[in-house]
Amino acid sequence: MALTQTRTESDSTERIEPSSKPALEQLLSTSDHKTVGRMWVVSGVVIALFALALSAATGFEHMNLGSVDLFEDEGQFTQAWSMGRTLLLFGGVVPILVGLATYLAPLQVGSSAIAFGRGAAAAFWTWLLSTLVLVLAYIGNGGPAGGVKDAVLLWILAFGTVVLAICWALVCIATTILGARTVGLRMDRLPASTWAYLVFALLGLMSLPILIGELGLAYIDVTADYLADKQARMSLLSVTTSISLAPALYWISIPVLGMAIDIVQSQTGRPVRFHRLALSLLGSLGLLAFAADTLSFGGRGRPVDFNNAILVIGVLAAVLPILLLLSLALDSVKSGSIPINTPLVGSLLSMALLLVGSAVSLLAQIEPIVGFIEKVSGRSVSLSSALSLNGSAFHDGIRGLIVGATFLGCVGAIHHWAHKIWGRSLDDKLGMVTLLLGLVGTLAWGVGMVGAGFLGEPALPVISTGLKSGVEALNTVAAIGFVSLAGAAALLTMNVVRTAFGGGSLLEPWSGSSLEWMTSSPPPVGNFTEAPVLPPASSVERDSLVGAPASDSTSQGA
Amino acid sequence: MTDITIFDALPDTVVAPEPTRPRLLVIGTALVAGAMSMGMAGLLGIYVESRAAVLAEGGVWLPSGVSIPLTQPNMMAITLVMSVVAMAWAVSAIRHDDRANTYIALTLCVIFGFSYLAQTAFLFEIMGMPAAGDDLGRPPLIYALVGAHLIIMGVATLYVVIMGLRTLGGNYSAKDVEGIYGAALFWNVAVVLYLIVWYAIYITK
Repeated sequence: MALTQTRTESDSTERIEPSSKPALEQLLSTSDHKTVGRMWVVSGVVIALFALALSAATGFEHMNLGSVDLFEDEGQFTQAWSMGRTLLLFGGVVPILVGLATYLAPLQVGSSAIAFGRGAAAAFWTWLLSTLVLVLAYIGNGGPAGGVKDAVLLWILAFGTVVLAICWALVCIATTILGARTVGLRMDRLPASTWAYLVFALLGLMSLPILIGELGLAYIDVTADYLADKQARMSLLSVTTSISLAPALYWISIPVLGMAIDIVQSQTGRPVRFHRLALSLLGSLGLLAFAADTLSFGGRGRPVDFNNAILVIGVLAAVLPILLLLSLALDSVKSGSIPINTPLVGSLLSMALLLVGSAVSLLAQIEPIVGFIEKVSGRSVSLSSALSLNGSAFHDGIRGLIVGATFLGCVGAIHHWAHKIWGRSLDDKLGMVTLLLGLVGTLAWGVGMVGAGFLGEPALPVISTGLKSGVEALNTVAAIGFVSLAGAAALLTMNVVRTAFGGGSLLEPWSGSSLEWMTSSPPPVGNFTEAPVLPPASSVERDSLVGAPASDSTSQGA
Repeated sequence: MTDITIFDALPDTVVAPEPTRPRLLVIGTALVAGAMSMGMAGLLGIYVESRAAVLAEGGVWLPSGVSIPLTQPNMMAITLVMSVVAMAWAVSAIRHDDRANTYIALTLCVIFGFSYLAQTAFLFEIMGMPAAGDDLGRPPLIYALVGAHLIIMGVATLYVVIMGLRTLGGNYSAKDVEGIYGAALFWNVAVVLYLIVWYAIYITK
């Protein structure tokens, strides 16, 4: 039943009869959040692989500055660079997160379905088709620096539709969490991951429409020939600038932090202390990301104003919630058992990398703070040119650390909930190799670009000469990072496809205290055979059901 | 005098009623309306900043030969305010299971919505703002902003029509007013957005 009406007593026990339609028809017409969630995750992983391979190609082009070797000209290089970064975010990482939330949020709130089930399915198909059209628009010489006007317009329309579809999926997720919770499940008792999905969804719904508005303006600019040539269309890159920089980019890290908290307490058998504090920290990180993103107001075609006080405060303050969340997770690890497996290692690595990313991003705040001091005191302060990082490749390094950390968190989460999603576990050894490749890739991308920023490489994409020696070497390090990350994405794809088609162990490897663990793996149609009963309130913050030995699997197969 | 304890009358099997759950359609509508408002706020921010930048340089915001009359925007504002009254009438009627009045109020609302769309088209006609051109120097942001609001009003009108038809089909009554509440919420947000556009564009010019 699509949840579009007020829940009644009968709703929670109503069962949906399994469909007898052929598999393909079932796939195309389903409104079951579990199938839709799986499709989001698998598609996201595959597109992330494609985007990282493309980013690796543009990375190799950066190894030799001053000439264009792998691509036809600078315009094509810019398009490829833009396609890699855009697809990685809106075709890979965000869809994986949306997929996990679509699958898990209804289960975690004890609902039999996602709100607006048909809408959730429509959001997926719209996103998938418009992503394909987006790629075609790039191939047809559209996008930033595009040479064919119609293809550029198609790029704008397709990108706008991609974002719109993601917004609609977020509406379904947020509505489910806000309105379809089982009786007694108060907001402060939500699992950290569910709360994080809610913050992620609300933040996306407040930020992404601004991006759609910017795309609408870009459409008018191109139609009316205000952006008439390739050079002028380079400014289209600025459409996504603000949302892909810290702290606005912490938007994608919020669900990963929430999932990491749940994974840590499930794997170690020790719930994190101060559950409400953890929820508050996730919410505060969301507020900081939102405050920074509102800076994109009026930012049409202009670079981000790094001297903005809200942005500086946002970057400085964002370190604190990430640090505290990591501390809470480590506290559980310290007092519980420590299994060395992909979910736990992936979660802790992603939190640590996010902390590194947020800490390194502080360096870029020295310049505006010094500028402020100069303005207030009226005296000139000598600042090393190496610390003039804003407007340089430095921010791409920070982006690398945050996106890479999010990817590692997704790897951990997919491994943790794989049995719940497909009824079979993913290969843990392959998962550890995936994490290793992902870690190397993230660090190489981050170190390469941060270092290049220190040496004065301008914000990407750039084909330029006259840069300090060492920039090309650091660009090579970043390119190797992309290859490594693409390798990690390939291994994850292989692991997921193998499990989805019947590989992997049937034995449920672990359990947890949240409601998704109180049904079979994967859950039946309607999710729960009987209305789920909440564990005692104390178990949310103290040890009880968390980490209980896995019960005999009631798996229904893949 | 005998003590009477009314609770004695309750049998043991009585359980507490299920708490009232929020309405999913209303929640979803509120989220969409919030997202929509953020999109409009973003566009408005760009409009106000661009206008302020031009004026700060001593320029003129509206191109020569373009004038924005006030009569039509004011009439549009009055039309939409009247539609809010009609929508409140529809909500009140459905809550009292007064279907006849619900249909009349919803129909009025849709007529007001179409009136707004027609008046905007007429305003564009007489305003004479070019869509592009060398003498313009910058893109006409007014079309982006008003156009976005036109889309929102179109969606709001469609929402009201669908909910009206569903009411006609018996889906909504005094026992379940969720659809009409949702439509009313969306409609009212759309009207508030127009009032902001009205002030930012038509009044301040």
